[in-house]
Amino acid sequence: MPAPADAIADWRPAQAVAARFAGWAAGTEGSSRSSALIRIGLAMLFWSRWACELLLYMDQSPAGLFLAANFFVATTLLFIGYHSRLAAVWTGSVGLAMYYYFGFELGREPWTHHHTYLLAVAALLIALTPCDRSYSLDRYLAVTRAERLGISPPAERGNLWGLRLIVVQLSVLYFFAAFDKSNHTFLSGARLEQIFLWFYAGSDYPAGLAWLATTLAFGVVALEYCLALGLPFRATRRYLVLPGLAFHAIIYVTLPVYTFSATMALLYLAYFDADAVDRVIARLQGIGSAATAKGEIS
Amino acid sequence: MAIAGFMIAGPAAEQIFGVQSPWLRSWTMFSAIGLGVIDASFEIRGPDGALVPLDRFAMLGAPRNGRLKWIQNPEELASVIKRLCAVAGQGSDIRVRARLGTRGGWQTIHTDAENACAG
Repeated sequence: MPAPADAIADWRPAQAVAARFAGWAAGTEGSSRSSALIRIGLAMLFWSRWACELLLYMDQSPAGLFLAANFFVATTLLFIGYHSRLAAVWTGSVGLAMYYYFGFELGREPWTHHHTYLLAVAALLIALTPCDRSYSLDRYLAVTRAERLGISPPAERGNLWGLRLIVVQLSVLYFFAAFDKSNHTFLSGARLEQIFLWFYAGSDYPAGLAWLATTLAFGVVALEYCLALGLPFRATRRYLVLPGLAFHAIIYVTLPVYTFSATMALLYLAYFDADAVDRVIARLQGIGSAATAKGEIS
Repeated sequence: MAIAGFMIAGPAAEQIFGVQSPWLRSWTMFSAIGLGVIDASFEIRGPDGALVPLDRFAMLGAPRNGRLKWIQNPEELASVIKRLCAVAGQGSDIRVRARLGTRGGWQTIHTDAENACAG
């Protein structure tokens, strides 16, 4: 039986790991630029997915007009970055209202799809980041105020726990997407064959599809598990980012995934060290050191 | 922790424990697409007694990208078989292999063991 002191010593590595994880999850401060880029991208994705469906003439009921007004005002504020974090909460709430109320309650089935939920949740999560401190009207007003007062402008930095939550969301998404496919039906290739016939071949099964579908089925499941468990870690991320982006590009052009692929690609920014993203941006703009930025994004 | 817990609990509840609720988001993309699709192939017995592939579009004079491309359900398959037999003429021998896309994989709904025009 180990002495008490030894038992405590045994726990120390676990405590250190837990403390390190807590520091990563909730205690990291970093550049606000990647958060701001996600904020702007999300506003554009909201417009891309819904703007044409929410034009004022499309649904002239009081509820429809109320939804459209909220949608356009909230997303515009999110895009220009005026009261950015409030606008993100507003936009995310509009997205969830569309998903739960208009989608499930009122029966607009396309609004109940996974890509709509992901957009809404991403908007809510970006509200937990310092997305207001860069590339925003908020930033412009803060700099103007600082100049007027003769003080240095506020730093483009903040706590990044919202980005960590986006990482968790993406990993959960990938893991359960793979889990859903981890069965004989999918891995045999049958489900991919059915989907291929549904969209492309009609009722004529193409020669050679069987082995291709089986190979692809194993590849997709393996890739999704790898993305779920590997993207959060820098050592494995370098090998997974391009396959992940290629995977989303392929399903974007072959299947009706709407904004899903673009949303996922945008949210990949959350995986990267925010200060490294900042240095790359500075390098691209010719105001940073190439030496410090080089090799940071991996 | 609560937010992360909710993110994990939603799909876990539905995909592991089978709890169905619109309030819980599972990540089961394209799980219903392709269900009900029919894969069908046709053969016709030639004068020499051999079975040769039958092109249903050519035989029925239908466009390849038209409605006949997707046979929607077993009833429509029966209708297609009936039309093919009618065009092929009395005494023709047409064999049909067809299967239906289901959650469990492919389910055979027509075998080529018998002449589909015999009934």
